[in-house]
Amino acid sequence: MTAVLQIDQLCKSFVGVQALAGVSFAIEEGSITGLIGPNGSGKSTTIDCVSGFQKIDSGRVLLSGKDITGRPPQAVARAGLMRTFQTVRLYERFSLRDNLTIAAQQFDAAGWVDELLRTARYRDATAAAETRTSELLGLVGLSRYVDADASVLSYGQKKLLALAAALMPRPAIVVLDEPVAGVNPTRIREVEDILRGLNSAGQTFLVIEHNVEFITNLCRRVIVLDQGRKLAEGTPAEIHRDARVLEAYLGLTPETSATEMQGAA
Amino acid sequence: MKLLSAISATLLLGALPFFTSSNYVIGVAISACIFTTAAAALNLVYGYTGLLSFAQLGFWGIGGYATALTVMTFGGSFWLGLVWAALIDTAIALAIGYPAVRTNRHAFVIVTLAFALLVTLVARDWVSLTRGPLGIPGLPAPNLFGFEFKTTPLFYWIAYGYALLALGLLYALCTSRIGRTLVAIKQNEPLVRAQGISPVPYKLAAFAVGAAITGVGGGIYAFHLKIIDPLFLDFYYMQTFLIIVITGGAGSYWGVIAAGLIMSTLPEVLRFSADFRMIVYGVVLLLAVFAMPGGVGGWLHERRLARARAGLI
Repeated sequence: MTAVLQIDQLCKSFVGVQALAGVSFAIEEGSITGLIGPNGSGKSTTIDCVSGFQKIDSGRVLLSGKDITGRPPQAVARAGLMRTFQTVRLYERFSLRDNLTIAAQQFDAAGWVDELLRTARYRDATAAAETRTSELLGLVGLSRYVDADASVLSYGQKKLLALAAALMPRPAIVVLDEPVAGVNPTRIREVEDILRGLNSAGQTFLVIEHNVEFITNLCRRVIVLDQGRKLAEGTPAEIHRDARVLEAYLGLTPETSATEMQGAA
Repeated sequence: MKLLSAISATLLLGALPFFTSSNYVIGVAISACIFTTAAAALNLVYGYTGLLSFAQLGFWGIGGYATALTVMTFGGSFWLGLVWAALIDTAIALAIGYPAVRTNRHAFVIVTLAFALLVTLVARDWVSLTRGPLGIPGLPAPNLFGFEFKTTPLFYWIAYGYALLALGLLYALCTSRIGRTLVAIKQNEPLVRAQGISPVPYKLAAFAVGAAITGVGGGIYAFHLKIIDPLFLDFYYMQTFLIIVITGGAGSYWGVIAAGLIMSTLPEVLRFSADFRMIVYGVVLLLAVFAMPGGVGGWLHERRLARARAGLI
């Protein structure tokens, strides 16, 4: 197994706050890993640093073996990391079709001359994006809205559309920032199934979530952050047994926790 | 439907000199062509890309002066002057755009406004080049292979031809993926970057293309007026372009063109009453903005959206 994403000793501080104090972990190819932690533990800062939206103070980020430390977001995306955002980001006034096709355009062979002159290369690229769009809209169950503006979708549907957009260029890794936060509980199961299906087809995921149940059901590997440090890493079962995790993350003492966690999982 | 009305409007406007011999009517049509084109260029920058640029006024003035000076001071042809107008404006747009498009939207407005004011100062105070407030009168009729565009109807073909050319180029640009990317940048820049697209080259290209088109329009318009002086940089022009874009609907290609043709002829149509002309114009403008807050284009989009929603239920 090779690491798609490898993070070494990531440090980041904002004025007066050490948000990340040396976080390291590696994401294996084809894996689906959960990143959890209490509020302010550094989950979002980690992915903002990795995806180039925040400057890193020190440390190193490797994507498919290539050093992408300090690269801007667009360079990180081109290197093969696509991400979603906690507060869902879409082109609200674009149709679902345009929301998806634009996500792939930087990755095809058509340059701006092809675009202006509508050359064969441009038409091929557009046709390929069109096929991929139908495939992904079918997967997330939004096919019937293909020509509607994204603004007509519900919040949960918007999160699914953002997921589909991140998948468009077949990236090496997809980083999801709270994919089910605010999503109707009955639909969380659907998201879980969709992600599991994509993962068995080989797609690598890193999933940041507050919803521990969702993460432990979905992921085979879980990383726990607390106060800008990696507190623990292991299978969901190992994490459940880890006394430090229970105390830091859930505020439980080991004695009371075992039964409560059983209920939660 | 859209294509049909576009084609018939194009043919109708093209045939205008055959319907009327009035220099006044054709003069209004020249203004309509040039103002619509300059507004469409502003639409690319502001409507599509979301950059509220007051620099258009500066580019307009520089284009006018560059063309006039090429002919009057440097002895070049009108056409060479237009080429210079495009080149100089592109270069300046790249130079000021490079830092300006990286700033936030408010700072961009201030930078471009300051630039426009600066151009006005240069036009007024660099007397040895521009002759200052005296201006440069007596701009000659353009000449192409010995053919002189000496009457207003003949000059109209230049304005009309340029409008078709520039609007065609803008159409190719706006309806391509490039146009879509510009709108995407306006809607959600972080998402654009997360999808691997660098916004800066797109913004710069839109700013530079908009500058060149506006500059050439300014060059042609100056030769229609046959004089250029610092009044050519009056805020009236900027305001006209902006009103056209807003009433047409920022980001709507056809909406802005329709508004351009209407808004540049409306003040003339209202000339029946010299006293109330601008008041009526103001009231029409207010009503238009109240009835269609998103302009003509926004109104059409809302209707399409409502139909889509109805279809989903």
